[in-house]
Amino acid sequence: MMPANLPEIPDQIFVGEMPMPKCIRRSVYVLSMDDPRLGDKAYASWADAILLDWGKQPGHDWQADLKSRMPVAIGAVVKGGAEVFVRINAASALAELDAAVFSGLTGVVVKGVTSAQEIANIAQRLDTLEVTRGIAKGATAIDIEVDTAAAVWLSLDIARASERLGCFLLNEPVLCTALGMQTTPMLEFDPLEYIKSQLITVAVSVGGMVLGMSYPLGLTEENAAEDVVKAAIKRARDTGFKGAVCPHPAWIKHCNDGFRPTEKEAETYIKMIELFADGIKRGMASVPMDGKMIDVPVDLRAKLYLKWALRAQARDDAKAKAHQSPAA
Amino acid sequence: MFVTPTNPRFIDNAWKRGGDVYILDIEDSIAPAEKERCRTLIRESIDKASKGGASIYVRVNKPFVDADLPYAVWPGVARIMLPKTESAQEYQRVHEIISQLEKERGLTPGDIELYPMIESALGAVNIYEILTSTPRKLGSFGGGTGYDMAMNLGIEMFAAFDQYAWPAGNIALACMALDIEPTGGVFVPNESGRVDQGDQAAKQAAALHAAGVHHASALHPNFIEPLVKGLSASAEEIAWANKVITAYEKFIDEGEAVSELDGKVIDQYEYDLAQRTLAWAAACAAKDAYKAQALARTRAAAGD
Repeated sequence: MMPANLPEIPDQIFVGEMPMPKCIRRSVYVLSMDDPRLGDKAYASWADAILLDWGKQPGHDWQADLKSRMPVAIGAVVKGGAEVFVRINAASALAELDAAVFSGLTGVVVKGVTSAQEIANIAQRLDTLEVTRGIAKGATAIDIEVDTAAAVWLSLDIARASERLGCFLLNEPVLCTALGMQTTPMLEFDPLEYIKSQLITVAVSVGGMVLGMSYPLGLTEENAAEDVVKAAIKRARDTGFKGAVCPHPAWIKHCNDGFRPTEKEAETYIKMIELFADGIKRGMASVPMDGKMIDVPVDLRAKLYLKWALRAQARDDAKAKAHQSPAA
Repeated sequence: MFVTPTNPRFIDNAWKRGGDVYILDIEDSIAPAEKERCRTLIRESIDKASKGGASIYVRVNKPFVDADLPYAVWPGVARIMLPKTESAQEYQRVHEIISQLEKERGLTPGDIELYPMIESALGAVNIYEILTSTPRKLGSFGGGTGYDMAMNLGIEMFAAFDQYAWPAGNIALACMALDIEPTGGVFVPNESGRVDQGDQAAKQAAALHAAGVHHASALHPNFIEPLVKGLSASAEEIAWANKVITAYEKFIDEGEAVSELDGKVIDQYEYDLAQRTLAWAAACAAKDAYKAQALARTRAAAGD
């Protein structure tokens, strides 16, 4: 819960302000479209987003099959208030988009990306599909699963390829395999630290964000003890990740709680904002608080982070409301 | 060190602090209502703060460059700092305003450095384009960390690990590619977030020095002495450098390209490194001597 004594914060704190983070997507839970309990699992997960996975079965018309199942799957997983994404392959993206994009889909997650042109082509096809399928123009997001060296190297070009870009999703096990690295964590440091920092900086430079986990959980994806998962999420948030793909349902609550400013932090921001406003009234440009200096950037940060906390709370409230709906 | 021209205590005492550089700030340390008055104090603050031999920089406000720059471009200002630079276009525009003011005021064109402070992800990814967008020279440069960067990335500062590995590293690489001396970019844990602890400054100086970085900035006078000391070449380093140079030149005379000195391999790389150490030691000594002379002059004039 958020503190009750909230200071007044304008919708636009500064000219050109963009939402920070771009969206509240703290937990992404991957579910197979073949799972007979797909809807129940999505509903019970409380994930911010569900990522639908599917496979091409030999001897089947996969396109017709996917096309017939997607609207049902979308309807099933949104009942708990989650956003819904579908995973597609960059190499066969255009054909897969035709079969997967329907009203209600939040976006596509593209894996195996090796060039910016692939993303530009996907964006162009989405322009057409949105018109023919009665979807609002530009409503379908493109997220990139970073799992190739090329996607890292070309990340800035890829991020700039379409305004639809929402998130990079770092797939550590697949990326490490692609880079010829051990997928068993044996180091005392994170070998992907520089890459993680690069992806976060690049994504933020275009107004996007990155979903990922800290080392070694990002690599092992193990269902670790609660305190281990919480500590990993804390570090991931300090790294700049805004959420994570959850391989286990047990991670979801911790991600929802951890990838947002805590109540205690929100209280600190409120105190900073109030102290600084008081200082400004007295003609000061900075004021001390617990041995630290509160000045313009610190005050601005407090306001932005408080807005972030409020948006996260609103997201939780919306999901709670969806769970109370009779349709569920 | 950053100093606020509106605070007479800071400005009047700056020359006694021993800093190599004082940055006269019109930006974040100045309240909005005080900015106009601050601008009018810049010119006299240049003379006051440089009395101890320090160089003078001025940090302007990005949204108010048109208002700030006419009060900032004067003889005695070595560098204008443009905060929150994100694109080559805005950097170019400020370069043009400064060029015009230099012309009007009889200053040597291009003499004042223009320092694009990189405090956002967009600035970090555009750094190479920014630095190559004007002919104005820049001796040293660094960035990609700090309050504003943390805010832009959506992180809490002061974690126990490097949160700015890529932006700071990318900026340092861009500098080296353009033959600009990199500053900062080396991570030192500071989980307390305090800006007044000298031992933190000493750790920071040691890490920077070990990485071959020669410059750092401070928000508190307690940082000055540890930074100046820690970033200067030590007596041991100077002695070792002289030993390496003498030994290597002897090896070369004897027809050897690689040899050993006190159990360490000595080659062209070590020789070049030793030369750089001596060059840096000489630069530090020259700056110290210049500051000592300026201090002596100022003290004599003040009757100290």
